[in-house]
Amino acid sequence: MPDAAAARPPGAGALERRDALLGMALIAPTILVLGAVIVYPLLSAIYLSFFSIYTPTLEGHFVGLANYRDLLGSGGFWSALVTTAIWTVGTLTLQILVGVGMALLLHQNILFRSLARGLVLFPYFLSTVVAVLVWRWLFNDLYGILNQMLMNAGIIAAPVNWLGAMPNAMLSIMVVGAWKFFPFVVIAVLARLQTIPESLYEAARIDGAGPVSRFFDVTLPQLRDVLTIVILLRTVWDFKEFDLIYLMTGGGPVNGTRTLPLIVYNQAFGLNQMGMAAAYAVSMMLVMLVFMLAYLRRANARSEADSAA
Amino acid sequence: MTTRRPNLLASLIAWPLVLIIAFPLAWMLLTSIKPAAELFTRTPQWLPRSITFEHYTRVLTETPFLQYFGNSMILAISTTVLVILVSVLGAYSLVRFRYRGRETLAALVLFTYLLPSVVLISPLYLMLVKVGLANTLASLVAAYMSFALPYALWLLRSFMAGIPEDLESAAMVDGASRMGAFVDVVLPQALPGIISTALFTFILAWNEYLYALVLVNSDEARPLTTGVMNMLISAFNIEWSLLMAASVMMSIPLVILFAFFQRYLTSSFGAGGVKG
Amino acid sequence: MNQPERNPLRRPVTRRDTLRVLAGSGAAAAAALTAGCGSKDERTTLRWWSPQASPDQLKAYKAQIAAFEAANPTIRVVFEATSDEGYPAQFATAFAARQLPNLVTHLPSFAAQQYYAEGLLEPVDDVIKAIGIDRYFAGANEVYRTSDKHYCATGIGNTAADMLWYRKDLLAAAGITAPPATWDELRSAARKMQRDGIYGAALPYGMNAMTSLIFIGFIHRAGGQVFSPDLQVAIDSQPTYDALAFFQSMREFCPTGASNFSWGESLTAFVSGSTATGIYSGRVLANVAAQNPAIADAIGCTTYPTMSRDIPAWTYNDFPCLLIPKGAPHLAETKAFAASLYQPQLYAQQMHAAPGHVLPVLRAVADDGFYRANPLITRYAAEVDLMTKAATAGHNLGQETAAHKPNLKANEIIASNAIAELVQRVVLNKENPKAAVAATAVRLAELMRA
Repeated sequence: MPDAAAARPPGAGALERRDALLGMALIAPTILVLGAVIVYPLLSAIYLSFFSIYTPTLEGHFVGLANYRDLLGSGGFWSALVTTAIWTVGTLTLQILVGVGMALLLHQNILFRSLARGLVLFPYFLSTVVAVLVWRWLFNDLYGILNQMLMNAGIIAAPVNWLGAMPNAMLSIMVVGAWKFFPFVVIAVLARLQTIPESLYEAARIDGAGPVSRFFDVTLPQLRDVLTIVILLRTVWDFKEFDLIYLMTGGGPVNGTRTLPLIVYNQAFGLNQMGMAAAYAVSMMLVMLVFMLAYLRRANARSEADSAA
Repeated sequence: MTTRRPNLLASLIAWPLVLIIAFPLAWMLLTSIKPAAELFTRTPQWLPRSITFEHYTRVLTETPFLQYFGNSMILAISTTVLVILVSVLGAYSLVRFRYRGRETLAALVLFTYLLPSVVLISPLYLMLVKVGLANTLASLVAAYMSFALPYALWLLRSFMAGIPEDLESAAMVDGASRMGAFVDVVLPQALPGIISTALFTFILAWNEYLYALVLVNSDEARPLTTGVMNMLISAFNIEWSLLMAASVMMSIPLVILFAFFQRYLTSSFGAGGVKG
Repeated sequence: MNQPERNPLRRPVTRRDTLRVLAGSGAAAAAALTAGCGSKDERTTLRWWSPQASPDQLKAYKAQIAAFEAANPTIRVVFEATSDEGYPAQFATAFAARQLPNLVTHLPSFAAQQYYAEGLLEPVDDVIKAIGIDRYFAGANEVYRTSDKHYCATGIGNTAADMLWYRKDLLAAAGITAPPATWDELRSAARKMQRDGIYGAALPYGMNAMTSLIFIGFIHRAGGQVFSPDLQVAIDSQPTYDALAFFQSMREFCPTGASNFSWGESLTAFVSGSTATGIYSGRVLANVAAQNPAIADAIGCTTYPTMSRDIPAWTYNDFPCLLIPKGAPHLAETKAFAASLYQPQLYAQQMHAAPGHVLPVLRAVADDGFYRANPLITRYAAEVDLMTKAATAGHNLGQETAAHKPNLKANEIIASNAIAELVQRVVLNKENPKAAVAATAVRLAELMRA
């Protein structure tokens, strides 16, 4: 991580220590809240994964690693992992590309910009349940407007089965997922774009750089930090996404869109196996942990290389 | 951007995209003013043949919608204010101070995201019951704070890291205290980051469903998401017209609110006083 | 902050300002946030949960609550809506944390059986006695009988969830004189009626509970069963293959999107006039009246055709029930309130809120003039009577025939989507039926053992 306090007055040992105390005091509330609210449930869940627990009573017996053995050997976990990875990569790519693109556009002085910004954020405001219901309606082959419009425009000859066949179902949830969550990227990137000093662009223009190279040489490096965080956060959230996929396709057709979060929920409250659900959850967590550590290490190495350069 | 001339090319590219993105909202709006008999015509129609506001009236008068709306507002605002307070201080700490375990703390904070929230519900609920907060908005605030703090922290940290230290050092040389410099210099420049974090947190608290379903059961404390869903959606039937009206009412105020606030994301707040 | 263009924030926000604002809003927020906890009312409070809480139903419930509170001024009843999708999660946490409602209605019978077997429910024998067991339709409470000779719940209504709905005008136009009574007749009727953009049927093929529940009905209509009366897995038998073959043959008569159909789409497919037949409960009546009055005179229903005339009809009734969680306070008052819900006039009003969909369990109410005076029920009296009879004689996976032991794992079997997956594999993926059914049988056995 970039060393923020690069220029310190010499011989400021006591100041540093006092400052360090202040620093810890400032982060204390965060630690307190998270510690109080999340740490216990988190540890509980990991603990539960070694038991066989009947959800409504939360009672059960110790089974050691049996849950994990069943999970890893069943094949259901691995295929769901692949499905989840496909979904995550697909929807994330769309979210980032469309998000950055839209942020760039909304950064310009376009007509009715406030309204445009408000409308673009709209998908993120909408409750997922309602969003999915509306999209299912739009996708419907009998009375949905989407098929109707495409047929009128001559693009398709007969209604398309958007949600009930593969690969349509996976593509549809990727697109709806991108639609729903890309405003997160827009807001973060837009906020960062606002703080890029105009002088940098001036300098580039004077050097004769066109808009495309200005984007790659000025904008993108400035966005790197925010994008690093945004990509990390969105990856974790997309990986964990439950409501959208469950309500849209239920994991179907067959297991075409059955991602890991669906299995966790199903185990916990459908099959009433809280222990097994916790085991799946912990496995998911380990996968994400590996990704997160690798990603952060690479991001650190990159930014260190940059600041060294 | 300092130019006042509207960028027509960008407008021409942007607006069609915006309209495509907002097209489901248009559909929701138009459906909510259609009489029930026009909902599912064989060839779907965009425009209603006759306009009615009966669905809006029904939702407002026959359901506790306004009570739920009020609850959601309180919930979202409280969560946002608390999260901003805590995360702004925390992000500043992570960016400008050095102490042992700083990086580990930051990573650990993010670590809390890695477990799917489904398995956290039961233990969390049990804990809240023990503390006596079951069935209150406060329990939801606590839960949502724990969802929001990690990303708030990291996002704000990234914004603050981009603010050069010169002005703070200058202010401290002028005699301001550490925290004084923070409030007077850092905060204004981090405002775009703060506003965007506030936005995300508000939306999270406004739209969250599963925890609201499980942690709160009484209408006094029930927020909009579960209130509206439980009433209008059941296994065998969905009250489509009422649902569309309720959803529009749930969303449009937010759109207007944020169209207003997005002003504060502009650079005149962000980069004032910093040269290169 | 009104002229952002002018001078960016030269006057900093002072700490005092911030603190003042925070203190004020903090106090207000704290008050609002803890609003839910602790009622200041000295009356005994009873909490009533139900996932059926549409505005019309809410009105009927309020009337029942008002009547009870008037007769019992020391008791207050609060209704809280829960959700069909989310109730397992809500219940699990409520039970685990002992934050129980006093009374829950409109859950399916197999949920009641399951919770009772886990020791989570009070027997409702007293409530049934207070209502008077003779007032129910004969055998209406048998589905709630438990192994320890009690009743785990009692019916609050009946739903005939898989009636065959048909369009009389389309049948006539296709030259069909009587509604189909066997699968062959249904198939040929669907084939004849499928034209001009109208499909023959609206069967579900989605990965969801509806597909499982509906398909179980079809296994029975082929003369088979999912489990034997003593709950051995019996799905691997000829009737299942017949049912699968039928489902497969009907696929071409159902809309393209049927592979993602759940309750909502299937209902709307018929109500909107896009299909000539539908498979649903009496909900069709109210929806047609509101959404597509043009076909209101042309709809009719009958019990769903069976494979051949000698196989008796089998109707899926989820048996929405009334149950009392164990460990909730004020048991006596709760039972009194439960019994009061069956007071004929108010009970009829509750039925009126979902006419034809929630059918009465009390004989007298079904025949009663006040109940029958509801406009929809009057207009479709024949259909409603048919559904009432079919529902009373109906079954579900919790108890597939009168001879079956209660299946306490029914909820989990439905939630696992094992049967929906079977349908999808065979019909959509065209997998080998024998292999798929064998795999499903193994899965069911595992679920029963768990």
